[in-house]
Amino acid sequence: MNSGIDLQGTFIQSLSDLGISAELAKVLWMPFPMLLMIIGATVGVLVNVWLERKISAAVQQRIGPEFAGPLGVLQPVADGLKLVFKEDITPANADPYLFTIGPILVVMPVFISYLIVPFGQNLVITNVNTGVFLWIAFSSVVPIGLLMSGYASNNKYSLIGGLRAAAQSISYEIPLALSVLAIVLMSNSLSTIDIVEQQSGYGILSWNVWRQPVGFVIFWISALAECERLPFDLPEAEEELVAGYQTEYSGMKFALFYIASYVNLVLSALLVAILYLGGWSSPIPIEVLSNLIGVDPATSWVQVVDASLGIGMTVLKAYFLVFLAIITRWTVPRVRIDQLLNLGWKFLLPIALANLLITAALKLAFPTAFGG
Amino acid sequence: MLKFLKQVIDYGKETAQAAKYIGQGLAVTFDHMQRRPVTVQYPYEKLIPSERFRGRIHFEFDKCISCEVCVRVCPINLPVVDYEFDKASKKKKLNSYSIDFGVCIFCGNCVEYCPTNCLSMTEEYELSTFDRHELNYDSVALGRLPTKVTDDPMVTALRTMAYLPKGVMSPRDLPAGAQRANSNE
Amino acid sequence: MQIAEGVQLVTFGILSVLMLGAALGVVLFANIVYSAFLLGGVFISMAGIYILLNADFVSAAQILVYVGAVNVLILFAIMLVNKREDFKPLKNNWIRQGTTALVCAGLFTLLSTVSLVTPWAISTTTIPLASSIVPLAKHFFTDFLLPFELASILLLMSMVGAIILARRDFLPDSVGTSTPDSLTLPERPRELVGK
Ligand code: SF4
Ligand code: SF4
Repeated sequence: MNSGIDLQGTFIQSLSDLGISAELAKVLWMPFPMLLMIIGATVGVLVNVWLERKISAAVQQRIGPEFAGPLGVLQPVADGLKLVFKEDITPANADPYLFTIGPILVVMPVFISYLIVPFGQNLVITNVNTGVFLWIAFSSVVPIGLLMSGYASNNKYSLIGGLRAAAQSISYEIPLALSVLAIVLMSNSLSTIDIVEQQSGYGILSWNVWRQPVGFVIFWISALAECERLPFDLPEAEEELVAGYQTEYSGMKFALFYIASYVNLVLSALLVAILYLGGWSSPIPIEVLSNLIGVDPATSWVQVVDASLGIGMTVLKAYFLVFLAIITRWTVPRVRIDQLLNLGWKFLLPIALANLLITAALKLAFPTAFGG
Repeated sequence: MLKFLKQVIDYGKETAQAAKYIGQGLAVTFDHMQRRPVTVQYPYEKLIPSERFRGRIHFEFDKCISCEVCVRVCPINLPVVDYEFDKASKKKKLNSYSIDFGVCIFCGNCVEYCPTNCLSMTEEYELSTFDRHELNYDSVALGRLPTKVTDDPMVTALRTMAYLPKGVMSPRDLPAGAQRANSNE
Repeated sequence: MQIAEGVQLVTFGILSVLMLGAALGVVLFANIVYSAFLLGGVFISMAGIYILLNADFVSAAQILVYVGAVNVLILFAIMLVNKREDFKPLKNNWIRQGTTALVCAGLFTLLSTVSLVTPWAISTTTIPLASSIVPLAKHFFTDFLLPFELASILLLMSMVGAIILARRDFLPDSVGTSTPDSLTLPERPRELVGK
């Protein structure tokens, strides 16, 4: 397994050659991946919003945004600008501090979770060895923000929306964590890099979907529920709760909720791609391809192609899942709150537990196929 | 125990059924994605209203005999007929006539019952204003004729479904003189 | 190691100030909702200090369990029981407050003496831990097995208690159990096992 391109190493090396101490060079390097990630996540959201509007339109035999830029690609930018310039209203009887902190608390953990999303062998901000666990931990902070904004709005719809959101994320976190645990059992590591590496041996055949089909479905359902996507969008069910915890928000604070929900969707899709669909590895391994055309996989241009292919693959897989989520949105009607909790506690949780136990048993029985 | 097992099996069956139906639903949604959009690009394209379209009411001042039949048949007694009795000619003389389209439900009763046919329904439907009182049309405003969609140079007029030739689904790029399906000619 | 140490020191300072401030806020705020939210702040700052101590797994677990579950449940409880009640100022309130202050001061002196007396083995060399998960698990299943299992039994007990509380039926059986068909939701009746 070659290590691929090491941008950080090269950067530090070149700065050290200029006479700057290695430590300072590392400090100088740090902001780049972070900025890149924030920009990447934001652009991901813009693409996502555009896709959502276009695909929704196509499903309903409409055209969708058309005049803002070619095919309406600038529409999300226009939306964002509109939200920035809107008046920022704080209701008279709302709690101004909590009202402001709430949306920030919702956005922050989601963006921080991008720390652990790898786009290639070395294309990750930090390869922390708690990896996916860190993501689960951070996503559990979000309901506090929702509760806070629901409470601070001083509006019964907001409060009910916030409470529902918190109940929903708490109940779906458990099956989510259990299905991640099954993956971790197989790859012996919480690190996302190791998880992808472990499924990159035989191209598409070694992806975790084939070994964890049940886990895949559970993870996807729970991820949709965590993102409050349509079959599970009760916290903001228009017909009952106006807009749930966002009812009283406007302008930039509302935009924060909006961004958070879409960033969360992209993040969940990326994580499904990483955990179950082989992350950055392409369906046919790049080594096989390069050997096929008779090039040494260690040549520099193959490495560049490999790296860009890795990014492309990750993004492609993630957006395929986003597409699935959008189609699901227009197919499945919203569930009721009791059905939602029933599904979480009485269906997904036992199945996720059984899946975990079976995975452990299979790992003991066939160590070669299930986590070597 | 057996009862419990049966419950488990039933539950499993229900789950499989639900998954099947969700799959079918996804297939339908996916199929819809490939169909052509039916969008009418509104301010640039407009549908031609049908013959019996009940739009804003047109009123001819000179034909009106101030009989107030329209007021009586209107479900909400809406038209305001302001007349005075002219002693010399022993006839009613109409001063002004108005209908408030913010209140009118476009049922067409007044048009139906007017003895002199001085009321008629036009094909105008763009009645948005900044103030609802602007919708209270007096006899002058009621006497204006709307621009026909087909005559408006800014607008591409599109035929609605029922007026298209047989088998044609899109109203755009019709051959000139295409007759609608089931027309008598 | 100049920059790293400086960063560590500054972070430690910020985190401790945050933690102490938030903890004081928890105690001193009259509004119980503020206290609950600040409790989350305390937990998060503690997680930050765990990270400074190279215990990444523990800090993630701290966030997941304490912020994500415990604190959310506390908030839940507070918001569901949203009873507006004007509390009458108690007579002789100072006795209670004085007792509380006394107990807290006693606890504080006890803990500080313990921390001062204990001969901490502070290692000055930093040990780059590959992963703290494996040693943690080893400890859990060898020398800390008994506390670990006891903790799980405690959790089991609280879970059983919660289920018993939740299953309690408040509806009297005698009064009008038959609702007219028009008022019920069109749903298939589900039969429970053993009923
Ligand atoms: S029914 Fe016709 S003629 Fe009679 S008052 Fe009304 S508009 Fe005039
Ligand atoms: S259309 Fe109907 S509602 Fe309107 S004025 Fe005529 S009778 Fe009255």
